[in-house]
Amino acid sequence: MMTRMVMQRIGIGFATLIVVSIIVFIATSILPGDVAQIVLGQSATPETLAALRAQLGLDQPGYVRYFSWLGNMMTGDLGISKAGGATISSLIGGRLGNTLMMAGWVAVISIPISIALGLWAAMHPGTWLDRIVTFGTLSLISVPEFFIATVAVLILAVELRWLPSTAYMTGDESFLQLMKALAMPLITLVIVVSAQMIRMTRAGILNVMSSPYIEMAILKGVPRGRIILRHAFFNAIGPIINVIALNLAYLVSGVVIVETIFAYPGLAKLMIDGVQTRDLPLVQACAMIFCATYVVLILIADVGSILSNPRLRNPK
Amino acid sequence: MTEQVASKKEEEVLAELDSFAELPDAPPKRKFRLSWVGWVSVGVVVFWLVICVIGPSIAPFHEMDMDGDDSFLPAGQGEYGYFYLGTDYLSRDTLSRILFGARNTIGISLAATLLAYLMGITLGILAAVKGGWIDMGISRVNDAILALPTIMLGLIVIAALGSSIPILIGTAAVIYATSVFRIARALGQDIMVQDYVEAAATRGEGIWWIIRAEVLPNAAMPLATDFGLRLVFVVLFISSLSFLGLGVQPPASDWGSMVRENLQGLTYGSYAAIWPAVAIASFTIAINLIVDDISAKSGGSLAKKMV
Amino acid sequence: MKDPKSELNFRNLTQADKDLVDKMVQGGSGSVTRRDALKLAMVTGVSLTVAEHLLTDGKAVLAATPKKGGSVRMASNLHGPDDQLDPILFTSTIDYTRGRATYNSLVQHANDLTPQPELATSFEPNANATEWTFKLREGVTWHDGSKFTADDAVYSMNRHLGENTTSVINSVLKSVKEFKKVGPYEMKAVLHSPNADLPTLMGLFQTKIVKEGSTGGGIGTGPYILDSFQPGVKSVHSRNNNYWRDGANLDAIEITAITDPVARVNALISGDMQMVTQIDPNAFRQVESADNVTLLSTPAALQLGICCLKNSEPGSSDDFVKGMQYIQDRERIVKRVLKGKGSLGNDTPISFAHGKDFCSELPQREYDPDKAKFHFKKSGYSSAELFVAPVTSGVEDMCLTAQANCAKIGFDLKLKKVPTDGYWGAVWMKEPLNVVTWNMRPTANSQMAIQFGPGGNWNDTFWNNDRMGELLSLSLAETDPVKRHDMYCEMQTLIHNGSGMVIPAFSNINDGIANNIMGMPTVPLGQLGGNEWPEFIWLA
Repeated sequence: MMTRMVMQRIGIGFATLIVVSIIVFIATSILPGDVAQIVLGQSATPETLAALRAQLGLDQPGYVRYFSWLGNMMTGDLGISKAGGATISSLIGGRLGNTLMMAGWVAVISIPISIALGLWAAMHPGTWLDRIVTFGTLSLISVPEFFIATVAVLILAVELRWLPSTAYMTGDESFLQLMKALAMPLITLVIVVSAQMIRMTRAGILNVMSSPYIEMAILKGVPRGRIILRHAFFNAIGPIINVIALNLAYLVSGVVIVETIFAYPGLAKLMIDGVQTRDLPLVQACAMIFCATYVVLILIADVGSILSNPRLRNPK
Repeated sequence: MTEQVASKKEEEVLAELDSFAELPDAPPKRKFRLSWVGWVSVGVVVFWLVICVIGPSIAPFHEMDMDGDDSFLPAGQGEYGYFYLGTDYLSRDTLSRILFGARNTIGISLAATLLAYLMGITLGILAAVKGGWIDMGISRVNDAILALPTIMLGLIVIAALGSSIPILIGTAAVIYATSVFRIARALGQDIMVQDYVEAAATRGEGIWWIIRAEVLPNAAMPLATDFGLRLVFVVLFISSLSFLGLGVQPPASDWGSMVRENLQGLTYGSYAAIWPAVAIASFTIAINLIVDDISAKSGGSLAKKMV
Repeated sequence: MKDPKSELNFRNLTQADKDLVDKMVQGGSGSVTRRDALKLAMVTGVSLTVAEHLLTDGKAVLAATPKKGGSVRMASNLHGPDDQLDPILFTSTIDYTRGRATYNSLVQHANDLTPQPELATSFEPNANATEWTFKLREGVTWHDGSKFTADDAVYSMNRHLGENTTSVINSVLKSVKEFKKVGPYEMKAVLHSPNADLPTLMGLFQTKIVKEGSTGGGIGTGPYILDSFQPGVKSVHSRNNNYWRDGANLDAIEITAITDPVARVNALISGDMQMVTQIDPNAFRQVESADNVTLLSTPAALQLGICCLKNSEPGSSDDFVKGMQYIQDRERIVKRVLKGKGSLGNDTPISFAHGKDFCSELPQREYDPDKAKFHFKKSGYSSAELFVAPVTSGVEDMCLTAQANCAKIGFDLKLKKVPTDGYWGAVWMKEPLNVVTWNMRPTANSQMAIQFGPGGNWNDTFWNNDRMGELLSLSLAETDPVKRHDMYCEMQTLIHNGSGMVIPAFSNINDGIANNIMGMPTVPLGQLGGNEWPEFIWLA
């Protein structure tokens, strides 16, 4: 049953990848200008444009380029960046590692904190404790991340000189040096993603707490901690896992502002650069990675919700 | 607009409370459904909604006037008038720009969030209730959009179609509808397998009855909590577009862009970036506190007794 | 207005200049006369101004002999997957800088923009400047150990020519028919038409010499060897110990970019970066008040412009253009938007930074809302839409200033904000009103020819004036300085009065460096001393 579902989901994942590649293809082709235009910029002349287009194979019709890209993709060849001429795999290689490292650290720090704080707030709804958590999380997420990041840099890097202001990596630093270089973006991202996870954990549990079976448990005199942890939490876990999965996907694909401010070479900024230079193979490759990450995370979230809910586990 | 949403949710909450009435432990019915925090929050939201309407007429300067003597001035008397909150990086009056900007920030984000909810909930519940190929089709397209980074999607749409206010609203709505869809669908699926829904189905109730009477009321509270957050995200999305040099057209001001363009002032001790950040925070926190207050009064009321 | 030459002091001298001082002192008996200096200056091609400065600053220069060692990190403002190692496609500061560190050109620009020998030891025209002969340097080796010869130079330069070239300076070198090898270390440029400025063009950022048959690939003859290169991330360079002249003082340089302007300044002040480009005017105060860094502001003709297309409405109306010109509060733009680090524009692309060809006699156009109102009214337009992208810092704020001033006289100037990417292809030279910036060209003639040459590829206001075209070619052949200046003045007056170009201000080039960086060049053609710094700087 479970394996069949997972296999089915993997199939669905591939369908989603194809849909994404088509959306990306259409989206980038409606943008003004093409890669030749952008590379030559202000110095473009009709003659040099034509020459560069021919050199890059842009003089072929769009669908031909799409299918040749798709064909190469199937054989594992990601192609060559139209804008710079480097292979896409060399552009992506190191950055994928950076992105996964950052996302991993943020997840390791923020998920336990968020679930703990969310549970805690849900156990004491309406109290001062709850209000402090609520007010704190809301204050931190309601200001733009570039504001949080810049204030953190001004205090910790420019004034106090405790931490570096950019996440500049030389490639041969020790673990401690690496952590120091990553500290600022980590702090910013933990703040940004934790707030939503805390709030959804709290809301999900409060919702379950009003269910008849919880009331029954209360009436039966089951201890409070046991109710929350054994009954409420497991029944609320579906939406919570979903929110965590969406946040993890965001950490992989959506942290362009943090990458920009801290000059951290990750995938999100690479994709924006790809869009801005109309570098289709590069954008497609990033989109495929983001989509695959997303599909896997959502698959895990769905499996998690099913396992946690006996009714979904054994449909009648 | 916000109040309508809030009161609609309250009715649902009341309906929910009624269903517990027969329990021995049932929470007491209340006339005042908000705590003082809730009322303060309502006050803040009403204040900003009023500013949206009258802001431009009470502003001491026009949002585009560069009448300050210098950039990043602290509050005080200037050559052309009194700058209550100082001036920004182009010597414009910060207070006036906040008053003018309320319209754009609150208007665009509320409109986009409501639209996102309308689309997301409709499709999400439809997918959960109908299942099968409908679920499959909507979910794939939804996943594809959701899998792509929001800023990139915003960048592409705005670069291709230009950056007018309806396009900003539409773009933000579609982007954020995808997350609403997932949550609504997950909640809907959870609820669809609950006993009371199965009971209703066994009783022979129609699909719309089940959605209206069972699915929506039970999904309302988590969705309402998400609404508050989603609104924050839309405000932040608009301001992150300003980070990439897009967003509302000059000279119109929006709070997110004001934070962005005056960031440099922080190093000179200027509050020009802080005031709009405070404005964003006050509005979004107030909305979220109202939502929280309502949810604490429903699900929380029983849990509170256990403390 | 500050005289750019007063910016010259011993700290700002290039290595070439300092070498000259060394030679003067070592070669002579210890007492160097002004005549000796000037003689040497003539021989080596250093301009008189520099030579005279050397004389007064000679002692100080000697006291500050460059030290070897250390490393710097430099952060530009933009990078991405389109970062290049192929010189003919260089378009951004980060490319130019990597090019300067890795390769050499035949000709190098001095601080005062005179062409200096680099891989060419001398360059001589024939009598009517239709042929130029370049003698090339012997004993230069590529990073891979092979010898540099005329074949490499001829190959590299010919890549800019021809039908199918993708070179971004293809049309700048249009006057060249071909580059020919005439000996193992001698090359000849055969021209279609006389061009006295050819050596200057041979020093453009894109003219770096690559190995025959290659597209660059990071193998050059330059002062630093490319160790690693990740487009859009960074590059690492280490000293070329076999460099053919003294220079390359640092052990290593790292070149990266920080796109966020606030983050870039913070990285400089916190010491993460030792050199950053493009300091935003709002950050001048922050940089100037920090005690570990210096703001380098080099006067340049970096124009903040608005193009009113003469071939479409509303720019076709001369009165509309006049209205746009009079509504610009130039003093305020320089003072408030550029925070004083700029100079007034007079609706021509030539500024005092271009030196003797600048027409200072042309009366400065002032901010005059009444005249603007009069001309707008006469033009019949009451509103217009201007396309704005942040093509250079300050240009958006300049437009906001114009918008506010227009509102005061009842003219509705709408601003349409568009992204920078795609701007040059989709908006510039297409939308009737758009913002523009041009990097400063080394000569006034090339600056005006590119923007106002009749029928030119980049005539971005579509203002075609026959007299302008005539003067552009006549002035190139004119040798009498008075007549030449009159011609340049006439051209600037034509542009000032007739074209669709509004140029309210010129920005300085504003960069930041750590205080211990010495020997910064001040070439006004690009960021950080015209991107010439890698060969010259050293750490105190």
